[in-house]
Amino acid sequence: MNDHRVVGKGLPRIDGPEKATGKAVFTVDVELKGMLHGKILRSPYPHARIISIDTSEAEKLPGVKAIMTGKDTSGVRYAFVDTPRYPADETPLAVDKVRYIGDEVAAVAAISEEIAEEALRLIKVEYEILPAVFTPEEAMKPEAPVIHDAPMEGTSAWEEWGAATKTRSYEKESPHNNLNAYTSYSIGNIEKGFASADYIREDRFTTKGTAHCAMEPHAAVASYDPIEDKLDMWLSTMGIFLKRFNLSKALRLPISKVRVRHSYCGGAFGGKIDAFPYEYCAAYLSMKTGKPVRIELTREECFMTTRQRHPIIVDIKTGITKDGKIVAQDVKVIADSGGYRGSGAIVVFLCHGFSFPVYDIPNYRYEGFGVYTNNPIRGPQRGHGAPQVRFAIDSQLDLIARENGLDPVELMLKNVRHKGDRLPNGDVLQSCGLTECITGAANAVNWQQNRNNPGAGRKKRGVGISASAMFSGAMYYPFASAAMVKMHDDGTATLYTGSQEIGQGCYTTLAQVLAEELGIGLEDVRVVAGDTELTPIDIGSFLSGGALVTGNAVKLAAADAKKQLFEVAAESFNVPIEDLEARDKRIFVRNDESKTMPFAKAVQLSVFRRNGNPVIGTGSYKGNPETDRYPSLAKAKGLFTPAYGFSVQAAEVEVDTETGEFRLVRVANFHDCGFPLNKTIVEGQVEGCTSMGQGQAMLEEIVLENGQLFSSNFLDYKLPLATETPEIIDGLVSTIEPNGPFGAKEVGEGALAGMLAAIANAVHDATGVRVRETPVTPEKILADLEKLAKSSS
Amino acid sequence: MKQIITLKVNGELRDAAISVNKTLLEVLREDLGLTGTKKGCDHGECGACTVLVNGIPTSSCLTLAVTCQGKDIMTIESLASIDKLHPLQEAFINHGAIQCGFCTPGMLLVAKTLLDEDPHPDREKITASIAGNICRCTGYVKIIEAIEAVAAQTP
Repeated sequence: MNDHRVVGKGLPRIDGPEKATGKAVFTVDVELKGMLHGKILRSPYPHARIISIDTSEAEKLPGVKAIMTGKDTSGVRYAFVDTPRYPADETPLAVDKVRYIGDEVAAVAAISEEIAEEALRLIKVEYEILPAVFTPEEAMKPEAPVIHDAPMEGTSAWEEWGAATKTRSYEKESPHNNLNAYTSYSIGNIEKGFASADYIREDRFTTKGTAHCAMEPHAAVASYDPIEDKLDMWLSTMGIFLKRFNLSKALRLPISKVRVRHSYCGGAFGGKIDAFPYEYCAAYLSMKTGKPVRIELTREECFMTTRQRHPIIVDIKTGITKDGKIVAQDVKVIADSGGYRGSGAIVVFLCHGFSFPVYDIPNYRYEGFGVYTNNPIRGPQRGHGAPQVRFAIDSQLDLIARENGLDPVELMLKNVRHKGDRLPNGDVLQSCGLTECITGAANAVNWQQNRNNPGAGRKKRGVGISASAMFSGAMYYPFASAAMVKMHDDGTATLYTGSQEIGQGCYTTLAQVLAEELGIGLEDVRVVAGDTELTPIDIGSFLSGGALVTGNAVKLAAADAKKQLFEVAAESFNVPIEDLEARDKRIFVRNDESKTMPFAKAVQLSVFRRNGNPVIGTGSYKGNPETDRYPSLAKAKGLFTPAYGFSVQAAEVEVDTETGEFRLVRVANFHDCGFPLNKTIVEGQVEGCTSMGQGQAMLEEIVLENGQLFSSNFLDYKLPLATETPEIIDGLVSTIEPNGPFGAKEVGEGALAGMLAAIANAVHDATGVRVRETPVTPEKILADLEKLAKSSS
Repeated sequence: MKQIITLKVNGELRDAAISVNKTLLEVLREDLGLTGTKKGCDHGECGACTVLVNGIPTSSCLTLAVTCQGKDIMTIESLASIDKLHPLQEAFINHGAIQCGFCTPGMLLVAKTLLDEDPHPDREKITASIAGNICRCTGYVKIIEAIEAVAAQTP
């Protein structure tokens, strides 16, 4: 592996100069001739029936070009999840009811943002206010107000992709009110497992909603051509092909009549993949006016309406034997989905899927409930379920260790999975660096010296640790990635990929994969990306499949181009193709230095001798070639992913026991990403996860009161600033994943998930205070310190 | 009711016919086509819209354009010379201090001001200087390292 020339190095990213000079065009920078500006009228009530909407005054306002209400989009439904079991439950604009504060009621296109905003004020909506419910446990009760009255009808968007056509009702499986998703799973025998345990404990942990806070606000530009019946869209998104699929279904346009383009995307973190009403409104307004329409959300709208991380309640019961083996675990998860399902059906699956690969537990039961409330909608966010459930599992494991006089690190090491393990769903861990991550992270914070050693003064220090797992892509539309490598006269190449740069550096890492495989330099590669017309399909920059799935497609496309160049050279030199190798844009005959040919020459010869073939390599890759089905969200069956990334976070904190204030001193974040295709980029992902995890563990909270958001700006919603940066020790554990290009797999999501428990455990180690609800704040610590002081006096 | 104003941006005098309530950010992006300056929050909380007004880092979303007449305005578009990047731009690229790139223009202009005033700031001073600029991608480590690297190169 040390003979790699391009991959594995911390090469500067190829989009750096554009971004550093302000030339990079983001979606908010897209401007088309004659473009109109759209604004959306939103519900001020958490739950209400719409009696009437009067747009007549707004229509008279000079400069207003179009107004739409639910009547214009009636019958159209879409959703991030749209399966027979979980049919789409969202409409571009509210049809009968509004279900959360911020729900879309009407949309206006005007010649300026100001006029569009003024028009919103002239629209009169009469509501009948309905009783609302704001906690999932209340919502599940039989007497709770029903948020979605009639069951959805119609066929699933995925039907033509092999999804079953029969609806299997989850309501019958678990007869709770306002349920929107239900996942159940078990292995072994949970009763027998607990019976064989020497120690059992039960706990409840809860997490609060958090915001993605991508620095670029959500935006869409739609341009519809009524003559050709074609829709062109620019979106700040993570998955152009999924967006195109959903848009074409909802707008009832043939998929080939919808073109989605990706400009640079100013951060996503999971928050730009769900299907959003503003995208559909922009498209509709453009279809109605025949002019381009741009909608950019305000920061407040981003906080309120572009999905948040699910607040989750985890009830967890775990049994261990005297020697520290976990023999039984029973996990029940309740996710507050808000007014619509959003990714509710996925998160209750992933709370199992992202967590189960960490510890090997013979008797295990999992139940996940997605529940409607009248809160804002929740969707995917970096780690999608993993931070919440890992917070519960590893907080409890720390408590178990303390109660039994065991070292949490030893307890983790005794129970973690290893390379070669087969998960009950069939996934095989062909690489697994969990053990190395645990020992590495523990050593980096001097675990043995610092544990149980808070110091004598007012300021106490403590350490904590937690682990997590993450997919490297999954069977989600469009299920696979393809790539093209076009050779040029000078022996350089252009990569065509449907992948999208969202900050994660995929243009650079994919170009490195191409360069390594083909035998050219990174500077010899240009990337054309993110356009559903120009580029082949791509699974998208979510579910952490970029490196493995798209990376493999690119590697195969480069290998195909190389094979074509070799065929020409082999004919020329009259040697077998196997004797050829490539480096520095040249072909060499092994063991015969006199025979060499520049790529440029091979391209020329190919044009002359192979009927004009200019050498275009193609490749495609599907993560799980064995299956043509996505895994069952309800039963957690079927293959989940071709490889798991693993990571472990160890944190050291210092707590002022007089005030409860505490700071994160140091974090060791060890990630098994298989093989770091670009060391600097991988470190950047790990450090970004550390910072976001720090925020979510210590600062960040979506504050809601009766569905009204009280943290809708960066003053009220606090996220980490430069001055709060801890010392971060990045540990890149290389395990070489056989399914990955050059051994690479996930990086970028998992390294966040353990931060919550690591910090909560460190606070406990320092002070004896156990915080069971994120964020861990000085107020909560101080309140508990006072209780501890009272009970000991 | 529009008013014609003249702004000196990146060394050039530029005219714009604007409503008097337009912010500097809006005029730069919408009237002068300088979209390198970004709108992250429109409330002066995130630092993405930072430009230099008479050399001072300023939230252009909180500044009315009419108040900037007669002042020197510098945006990200003039940090590099025609064919050469500024050392801070080089360092940000080489140290992995750029991910999505949306906070980068504001971050670079703040860092430039810092190093213009104090070519050898310590780590504390560096973090304090960029504390008004939110970066959600990097966790700040590589940004701090990039600024330190430029300081270390400076004699």
